[in-house]
Formats: sequence, C-alpha cells, structure tokens
Amino acid sequence: MSFETLIDQLTDDLAPVRPRRLWIDVGIMALIAVIELALLFVIGFANLDMHRIETQPTVGWRLASLGLISLVSGFAAIRSFDPTYSAKGSIRWLAAIIATCVVGGLFLGSFPGGVSALLARLEWTNGIGCASHIALLSTPPLVGLVLLGRRGAPTDMRRTRLLVGLAAAAWGAFSFVFSCPFNDPLFIVTWYGLGCTATVLIARYVLPRLARW
Amino acid sequence: MIAAQGGDAPAYRRLLAELGTWLRSYYAKRLPAAMVDDVAQEVLLTVHAKRHTYDPSKPFGPWIAAIARYRWIDRLRAMKDGLTDELEEEMAAPDTGEAAHSAYTLDALLSRLKPAQANAIRLVKIEGMSVKEAAERLGQTIALVKVNIHRGLRRLSELVQAEGHEF
Repeated sequence: MSFETLIDQLTDDLAPVRPRRLWIDVGIMALIAVIELALLFVIGFANLDMHRIETQPTVGWRLASLGLISLVSGFAAIRSFDPTYSAKGSIRWLAAIIATCVVGGLFLGSFPGGVSALLARLEWTNGIGCASHIALLSTPPLVGLVLLGRRGAPTDMRRTRLLVGLAAAAWGAFSFVFSCPFNDPLFIVTWYGLGCTATVLIARYVLPRLARW
Repeated sequence: MIAAQGGDAPAYRRLLAELGTWLRSYYAKRLPAAMVDDVAQEVLLTVHAKRHTYDPSKPFGPWIAAIARYRWIDRLRAMKDGLTDELEEEMAAPDTGEAAHSAYTLDALLSRLKPAQANAIRLVKIEGMSVKEAAERLGQTIALVKVNIHRGLRRLSELVQAEGHEF
C-alpha cells in the first residue's frame, strides 16, 4: 500500500479522541482496590481487629510496607503506560523501599539458632495457603492494570510488567493482612514474598501477550 | 496532533504526511532499505491507534520518537526470531550516504558484542550468507552460529533499549 493511500484511509477513519489522563487511570485503580477491600470485609474474609493490630507489631509493619509498595509501584506502573515515561528511576526507588521494608520487618522478630528451628517456623501448609491467597487477591488489580496497559502505550514492557506485577502483588498482600493470623516476620517475609513473586511472574507472562501493541 | 485529537482531518493528513517523511529518514539509518517503508507505515497505523496516549501538555517530538523507537526494537526482535528465514536481495544496503551512516552505527553497536556474536551477525544478517556457509567460514557448528546470532541480536536489542540510541 502506498503512503498516500494509507494516509487517506487513516484520515477518513479519524474521530475525535479524549487524551489519556493519568489521574483518571489512578482513580480507576484506586476504585478497584477499594472495592476489592470493601468486598473482603463485607463477606467476612477480612476483619479489622484493633486488638490484634495493637498486640501484633508486624500488622502495622505489614500494612505500612505493603501499602507504600503498592502505592509507589501502582503509580509508576500507570505512568509507564505513557510511551515517553522511563521507569528506571521508579524501579530503583522501589528496590530500596522493598529492601528497607524487609530488613525492618526482620528486626521485629528473633532468630533462634538452628536451621530446623527456622524451618519449623515456616509452617509450610499454612504458608502455602497464605501465598495462594495473596496471588488470588492480586487478581483484580492485575486485571485492572492490564486493561489500562492495553489502552496505553508502554514502550518498556520489561519494566512495565515488573511494576504491574509488583503493584498487584503488594495490593493483594495488603488486603490479605486483614485476614492473616500469623505474626512471625520470617513466616511473613517468606510466604508473602512467595505469593508476591507468583503474581509478578504471572504479570511477566500475561502483560506482554495482552498489552502488546 | 492536538488538532487531530479533536478530529481535524486536514491537520491530521498534514501531520501524517510529514511524519511519513520523517519516519522514512529515521528508519533509513536503522534498518535495511527493504523494511523502511513497511515499518514507517506500521508506525503511522500505531500513531492512529494510540493517538489518545499523546498528552497535549507535553512536546510531540519525544512521543513520536518513543513510538518510532519501540517499533524499531520490535522489528529487531522479529529479525532475531526469524533466524532461519531466507534473506532477501534487498537486505544489502544501497550505496548511499545514509547507508554508510547506518553501517557505521551498526558497526559501533556490533563492536560492543562478543566477537563470535558480532561475526555471526555480520556474515548472516548483513552479508547474507546462509547459516551453514557462516558456520564453515567461522569454523563453528551450525547450532553455535544460530545461538550466537540469537544472543547477539538479543544483546543488540537490549543495548538499543537501555541506552536509547539516537544516531
């Protein structure tokens, strides 16, 4: 096809469009997150037990860390749907935030000697349950971000999919804190980390296939 | 572009025509001559489909440059995936100033690869040899030549993506 023919066709097909607005996308994602959390409370999966929050120091740490990670990565993910945005800086910041959160959390617990003692604290059966719940709860934000990504034009898919995965995973884990009875930082770092990694891997696989343009 | 987002057809036609010229010149420095028109047209289609992603409060240049670069990297990836495709006659660059510039740029990029990868890419992708001929010339197995081309093109794509080459 010649350039002239193509230009004619595209001009004939022209219709007014509303430019993409960052804050609208942020609003949509915030709405998805709030609705998900509200539904978890309504169906009784999550509960706001103030006593538990006061007596278990890791609850505050989990909520603050995961809330911060999901906010920063979610905002960066949405920004990365703009073709001109470079996510390098955001990812460096996120790496620093995640490292600080993990190290900070580990200081909340004690680490008695012996590999067997540490392994016993991991409680494999409960841990796998935790990780799978987190991956499941990450689904709504993941779907929302993938749909927004399809509408946008991410040019650095490698970083975008990482940010999308992290944002969805962190929000899934944040929601799960309201129903998770475990308080051992080692357990939390291990199984929450595994659940989040699963979501990041899913995003890595799904996003390039669905949001490629 | 702002006028085009509002549905102004004459402005859009003028924009696409100017973009067509710019894109052909952009890709002439970066791709084999036979691919230039094809990729430039692909970008025009992309501009049409993604015109809502342009933010009117920002300059237009970086937006179109980002899209053009994305399509270029896409094409490099496609070249990497089509290792066993027959090469076309047009793969050889025409003897023009732009081609010379392109060759210089490509040389600069290839010099940053491992010698085995750069040699395999030069022989097969630039000089048009078959993988078998390249393997005989380099004294390597066919599988190793394919691996070197695959890894080399992936590395090239990463270099271009990481450094945002503008040449």
